[in-house]
Amino acid sequence: MTEHLSYLNLNSLVDGELSADELAMANVHLSQCPSCTSDALRHSLLKSAMGKAGQRYLPASDFQARLLRRLREDHSHQAVSQADHVRPSVLRSPFYGWAAAVALLLVCIGAVLVQHVGSRRANASAQYAALATEACDQHIAALAENSPPDVISSDRHTVKPWFQGKLPFSFNLPDNLPAGTTLDGANLTYIHGRPTAQLLYSIGKHRVSVYLQQRSDDISASKLSTNRSGFHVISFNTGDISGIAVSDVEPARLADLVSIIEHAQN
Amino acid sequence: MTLLPWKRADRESGTQTSPFEEQALPLLSSLYNIAFWLTRSSPDAEDLVQETMLKALRGFSSFETGTNFKAWIFRILRNTYLTSRSGLAARRTVALEDELRETGESGPAQYPEAAIDHQTPEINLIQMGDRVALQAAMENLPAPLLEVILLCDVEEMKYKEIATVLNIPIGTVMSRIARARANIRRALTRVFEPSTEIEL
Repeated sequence: MTEHLSYLNLNSLVDGELSADELAMANVHLSQCPSCTSDALRHSLLKSAMGKAGQRYLPASDFQARLLRRLREDHSHQAVSQADHVRPSVLRSPFYGWAAAVALLLVCIGAVLVQHVGSRRANASAQYAALATEACDQHIAALAENSPPDVISSDRHTVKPWFQGKLPFSFNLPDNLPAGTTLDGANLTYIHGRPTAQLLYSIGKHRVSVYLQQRSDDISASKLSTNRSGFHVISFNTGDISGIAVSDVEPARLADLVSIIEHAQN
Repeated sequence: MTLLPWKRADRESGTQTSPFEEQALPLLSSLYNIAFWLTRSSPDAEDLVQETMLKALRGFSSFETGTNFKAWIFRILRNTYLTSRSGLAARRTVALEDELRETGESGPAQYPEAAIDHQTPEINLIQMGDRVALQAAMENLPAPLLEVILLCDVEEMKYKEIATVLNIPIGTVMSRIARARANIRRALTRVFEPSTEIEL
């Protein structure tokens, strides 16, 4: 350090706040600069003098005793009031004791129920997300595959019977499809390890996969809609069937098709 | 074996000190000294220390053992002072940053090398041991500068601890210390050489 020590550096020096590197540089400079050495000495003297001058007032001789008494009184009051908070509700009468126990039990049951419902909701939400992702993956795979569907037909009376003996459930296909929508065929597939009918539709030039599988108890009854990798995903549930539709077509047109298939199951 | 005063008082009274008292009582004189400097009155200083101690005792369960108890209790003292009658009055009369702006002392850049007086008239004054002049100069410091210099020079706290107590950045601690010392030097110069003033 060749330049003079700054005012802030001088303060930091006398306050012992310079880092080891800064201190080493400052010492090198001080060894060569009488002016800064004088300033540092002056700062140091001022600090020391202020430290002494600042120690000016002493408490009265009985102040500590008075303070201690006050502190201990306050401490014992606190201890008593804390004990009072606990004791009367339990000990004042057996009735209060039982009432408190029942209330506590109810609170515990409530907490467990709330936790259970919350956990079920979280599970259902996670399951739905996984289902939507798997359905999307299978739809993308179906689009990319060169191999034709397991059954190729636009006739629902051909497609539905093809699943006989292949699925542990049956479903209905709608008579009338929305304008511009055609049935292309179907595949037998598995989602979440469960046998599923993959119905292939076209809406204009957009391909649609509608997956139908037997409804399980842990699936939410509500109709859900989401987006996955740019595809619209709509799920629905009827009495025995869970369905999930995936496509990149407009959501409204996909919703029309889903609605018709959903009604066909009733 | 020589007992420290608060231990001796306990032994004489036959009571045992609590963990809180073990840590707080050795700081009583320091707390009182700072409280007196801030309030400028013995009854107010006693009230301030007592309220600080009571607050600290009630909040002691939230204090993390092993951390800086001194900084913690001084922070309580300072916050208690700020909300006290005398503290509120001081805050009404002194708005530090505004005051510093008015006098042009807004940061470290306000202390060029030329501002350091190499004639050092105050050195002579300090060497003469004129504690009264120094105390008068300290009394005239604005409260925010006084508290920072008391914590730094009297309590010998590190900048980091002062920043914790005052709840301000370390940079502000440094600039306030610089301002406080510059003010003291200027005041001492006026005492020693009334016709000469350092241009800051």
